[in-house]
Amino acid sequence: MSVVVTALVTSLSILTAILTVTAWAIWFERKFVARMQSRLGPTMVGPSGLLQPLADLVKLLQKEDIVPEAADRRLFDLAPKLAALCALGAAAVVPFSASIVGAKIDLGVLYLLAIGAVTVLPVFMAGWASNNKFALLGGMRALAQSLSYEVPLVLSAMVPVILGGSMDVSKIVESQIATQWFIIGPVWLGLPAFCLFMLAMLAESNRIPFDIPEAESELVSGVTTEYTGMKFALFYLGEYVHTFVASAAASALFLGGWDGPFAPGMHWMVLKTFALFGFVYWVRWSLLRFRSDQLMRICWYWLVPVSVALLLGAGAWVVL
Amino acid sequence: MIGDALAWILGAAVVISGVFVVASRDLVHAVLWLALALLCTAGLYAYLDAPFLAGVQVLTYVGGVATLMVFGVMVTRRHAAAAAEAGNDSNVVGAVVALGVFAVLAIAILKTDLPTSTAPTPDTAELGRTLLDDYLLAFEAVSLLLLAAVVGAVVIARRRDVEARTQDDATLLPTMRTGAD
Repeated sequence: MSVVVTALVTSLSILTAILTVTAWAIWFERKFVARMQSRLGPTMVGPSGLLQPLADLVKLLQKEDIVPEAADRRLFDLAPKLAALCALGAAAVVPFSASIVGAKIDLGVLYLLAIGAVTVLPVFMAGWASNNKFALLGGMRALAQSLSYEVPLVLSAMVPVILGGSMDVSKIVESQIATQWFIIGPVWLGLPAFCLFMLAMLAESNRIPFDIPEAESELVSGVTTEYTGMKFALFYLGEYVHTFVASAAASALFLGGWDGPFAPGMHWMVLKTFALFGFVYWVRWSLLRFRSDQLMRICWYWLVPVSVALLLGAGAWVVL
Repeated sequence: MIGDALAWILGAAVVISGVFVVASRDLVHAVLWLALALLCTAGLYAYLDAPFLAGVQVLTYVGGVATLMVFGVMVTRRHAAAAAEAGNDSNVVGAVVALGVFAVLAIAILKTDLPTSTAPTPDTAELGRTLLDDYLLAFEAVSLLLLAAVVGAVVIARRRDVEARTQDDATLLPTMRTGAD
């Protein structure tokens, strides 16, 4: 029984932590971007606008829930919930320290990739159920993009798996502590694999420069066009949580997880995750988006061949 | 105990979603029910101590096959036309055939004395070693077969693509009809 209680407490605290962090990550992003654009960002609610996320939450809760008349009602309602669920579900296997991990399963990496693969279905459901041409086009783009970038994502995630000799994320971190971080061990293998993983991850979570599914200039806002209030908020939340969990996964797989030059512990993992998270937003507000065809070309002409080469390289490195 | 109950729930979910796959009128709904059925099957694999199979099932079937089917529906059907009549004239014949297959399988399974192994299930590392060691030839043959299938699909798609390029372009955007047409 105590096992169940421990698991419950751990997962609840991880869940709460992630949701809280996400709320203030949005505040951070707005401040960060405002500085980049010589603005101030939120300043009114609380000191430096720190309470803005709470105010936003209250605002979103009050908004009218509008459902288009011709929408597929059940799918329309289900999609945002599933989207948030998939994003949060992936957090289960990310180890924040040697002991703080939601579920210690042998096939953590496979689980992460499998959840990532399912995440696109709710996005498509939203696009289809809205019965709106912009939403449908957004859904189609999201599907095509996710299907393509799945390949380099899986292949590049296999590099640390091969180097670490396990699919358990905790064990991969431990083997990095025992030898060296996989991003530099060896660097010709780790660094490109890390970059590929981050790129494919950005594409999977529909982030700039890969955000054509919700390209505002052409598709209003893609699949979320028809969504209002809390349903929209769930999609928004799912997107942020996805980026956050993926950053955490990248830190664990390539950057040594909770290992650090001194005093190893959870703070290192949190620091690395935030650094990657911040990087994603830096990229988001600096770059333009690719066109649909450029996106596919990059994936199939460049990323896939390179990731196959890296996979072979990793195998050779381990054998030799 | 909890695991057994979960297995029954998963099994029931597979059957129920399977029924909805054939009974839904909306093609997209049918595909989504299929995705649920495949997901629950993965759950059953996990219950049966085959976590690798479960993970791969989700990755390829739910993430790959179901997504591709949805994509196919989306690029070929108009929104309204997605709701098609689920049944047709062969309903009765189909039911008889399905029941017959079910009966044959059920009898075969019940009559077979299935070995209940108590040996620990091999872990994933062992699975990989067996595949690339003992069964290397078969493994490579299967990948060659898949490659041939992919190349064949591209060849067929290409030929039709060149013949009916304009028509394909028109069907690519199913709901982009405006007041002009």
